[in-house]
Amino acid sequence: MSAMVNMIVLDGDDNVGIALRDIAANEQACDARGLQLTAGERIVQGHKIALRDIAAGERVIRFTMAVGITTAAIPRGRLVHVHNVKSQYLNNDEDHYE
Amino acid sequence: MNRASSQTVSGMRGFPRADGRKGIRNFVVVAYLVECAHHVARQIAQGYQTEGAQLIGFPGCYPSDYAQRVMEAMCTHPNVGAVLLVSLGCEEFRRGALLDMVAASGREAKLLVIQESGGTRATIAEGRQWLDAALVRAKAAETIPIAISDLVIGTKCGGSDGLSGITINPAVGRAFDRLGDAGGTLMFEETCELIGCQEHMAKRATTPELGRELRAAVEKADRYYNELGHGSFGGGNIKHGLSTLEEKSLGAYAKSGSRPIAGLIKPGTRPPKSGLYLMDTVNDGPVRYGIPNINDTQTITEMVASGCHMIIFTTGAGSVVGQAVAPVIKGVSNSRVYQRLAEDIDVNGGTIADGTETIDDVAERIVAAVVRLASGHPSKSEELGHQEFALSYKTYEPAGPACLPV
Repeated sequence: MSAMVNMIVLDGDDNVGIALRDIAANEQACDARGLQLTAGERIVQGHKIALRDIAAGERVIRFTMAVGITTAAIPRGRLVHVHNVKSQYLNNDEDHYE
Repeated sequence: MNRASSQTVSGMRGFPRADGRKGIRNFVVVAYLVECAHHVARQIAQGYQTEGAQLIGFPGCYPSDYAQRVMEAMCTHPNVGAVLLVSLGCEEFRRGALLDMVAASGREAKLLVIQESGGTRATIAEGRQWLDAALVRAKAAETIPIAISDLVIGTKCGGSDGLSGITINPAVGRAFDRLGDAGGTLMFEETCELIGCQEHMAKRATTPELGRELRAAVEKADRYYNELGHGSFGGGNIKHGLSTLEEKSLGAYAKSGSRPIAGLIKPGTRPPKSGLYLMDTVNDGPVRYGIPNINDTQTITEMVASGCHMIIFTTGAGSVVGQAVAPVIKGVSNSRVYQRLAEDIDVNGGTIADGTETIDDVAERIVAAVVRLASGHPSKSEELGHQEFALSYKTYEPAGPACLPV
């Protein structure tokens, strides 16, 4: 793996990548297969980045599986997380931990 | 079983038990049978814990078939060589049945009833005297070489993060594949953390009927948690990058590896043969006791009750958990937490994200850690004296015939 690689895309058809380390706003996100895009905001390690424009109500695909439904349109390069994704099952709105 | 499965592994040794199982430890268990006896039991075990005495117990006063079954399984666990039961005297736990069962299993067993033994001081003195002698005998017990096929191994995660499903969990899955191929018996659990994976899991079942049971078990968890109003997903997961319960599930599911699923078991049920099993950890019937898995420790306890010799525990945020009867190996998903908790973590899977190791490399280190543990070397949590144990009320109905295909 080259030193440039800071993101993993688990399947070619996924619409999100996962940050392997913290990626700064405007930094290039690169995966091992040479996919590259500019991070539209800071993507912390373990968080998801949109690989393409995702419309509101679309499924978030990670490792071929739908891991949620978008609640807002997410432009390519932006953070995909609880502020723009909801569960297809149980929603936890409250924060139990802190 | 194939020929490779019965091959002993150099260094791995076990304590043979009358039922044919082999333990990787020879613990002497001190078990309180109601919370009112907890203090006395703890005082008996204290000071002997580095010698191999382990404290377990059930706090409830009213009878519970589930708790009785788990305590019976714990006291006749292959890692246990002798048992001291500590009862107050008026609780409804069926202590006589437990004592008889332990004695019938060929283990040394003793019952102390505080109300009949002269109270706190006298019971502690009598207990320690018995324990002193039992530990000497436990240490002198003979061991025999064992194989991977003699081992039952469970996996569990706690405090998952966005990297868990990419690094340490797939590495555990790969290690599970290898251990299963060598004839090992393996289990994964927590159907509430598999919500979203049921269709994929059903396809891995060895029979279509079992596939339906696996799907039904996850749907039961979904119903239960919807009724409860919240599930196994919260702020800790969100902070570390997971957005939904099903995303967490996907990561947790990776621990199960890729081999066929041979059965669905409930806490305390032992897998009838080698292979990979799912444990259903959610109560049967209506929501009755609140959250079924009150903490990671209880779920681990349930897998140990189903015969696990050891547990492979993975975390993203960090965990220091151990277990009283079965040693825990802990793996972490990222190097940042590994560096912070290195004294507590056995395997760093963060090297996969760092790009310095592959999933196979980490899987190999996990298998090596399993062999080390089964060779008598302590895990990190054992070195630190961890011996967590938790047991509360639950209800289960017997599993149907489709759950364990012949």
